[in-house]
Amino acid sequence: MQDKITKVLKAIADPTRREIFHVLVVAATALPITQVADQFSISRQGITKHLKTLEKADLIIISSKGRERYCYANAKSLEVVTQWMKFYEKFWDTKLDNLDNYLNSKS
Amino acid sequence: MQPISCILILKFNQMKDVIIKEHIFNHSIDQVWKAISIGEEISNWFIPADFKAEKGYHYTFNSKGEDCSVITGEVKEASPYTLIYSWIVKDAPAETIVKWVLTPTSENTTKLYLEHSGISNYSGETAVAMFTSFDGGWNNCITKLTEYLMVNIHAG
Repeated sequence: MQDKITKVLKAIADPTRREIFHVLVVAATALPITQVADQFSISRQGITKHLKTLEKADLIIISSKGRERYCYANAKSLEVVTQWMKFYEKFWDTKLDNLDNYLNSKS
Repeated sequence: MQPISCILILKFNQMKDVIIKEHIFNHSIDQVWKAISIGEEISNWFIPADFKAEKGYHYTFNSKGEDCSVITGEVKEASPYTLIYSWIVKDAPAETIVKWVLTPTSENTTKLYLEHSGISNYSGETAVAMFTSFDGGWNNCITKLTEYLMVNIHAG
């Protein structure tokens, strides 16, 4: 589990990988790697490398069908990353309510 | 596939580095400023605090460490009405930044802009430590504190 979080954070730290991932998310279906590569100005090898990093983080799944390799976004993996945000969203909401109550109780 | 992906897009777009909260208080800017910048006041509504709004001051929130984690940090800026400090949760050795900005909206109402940023600084082992700290008493911490404050407000 801990190892997984590290991989997810590493994978989304790179802007190109975020873009690749975004393309797959928007596509909402499996895309051939060639089609993904067409949307970026970097080399096919570069794309493949990024895809492998995303795959290791479980953010995408790569499968072969005939001679073509397909990849698609895997939803579940992002949950670990959004935990922090969720926690502090709630944390600050609670605290600001407290502050409001506190100020009201003083006046 | 479609609904899951929609959720994913939402999540992905929200995956920015910043939490922003805005709140209007029906109190003067000085009242709100005191509440967020004076140690005794902070202790009343936020977290038991050893805090001074002086640049360079090393503050401690919840120094007793009962039920929830100790938070430490350094005051980066403290000039009415902007307060900025680093935020370091014990056992999660990484630093985020909390920024409070107050502006008067009209007579006796004040707008608070709160920003908590720097989450993306977490990486590697540090990130692991941070995430595992969620398994600790953090959620209890908030609940207990809220109960405590409610009791105190009603008693006071």
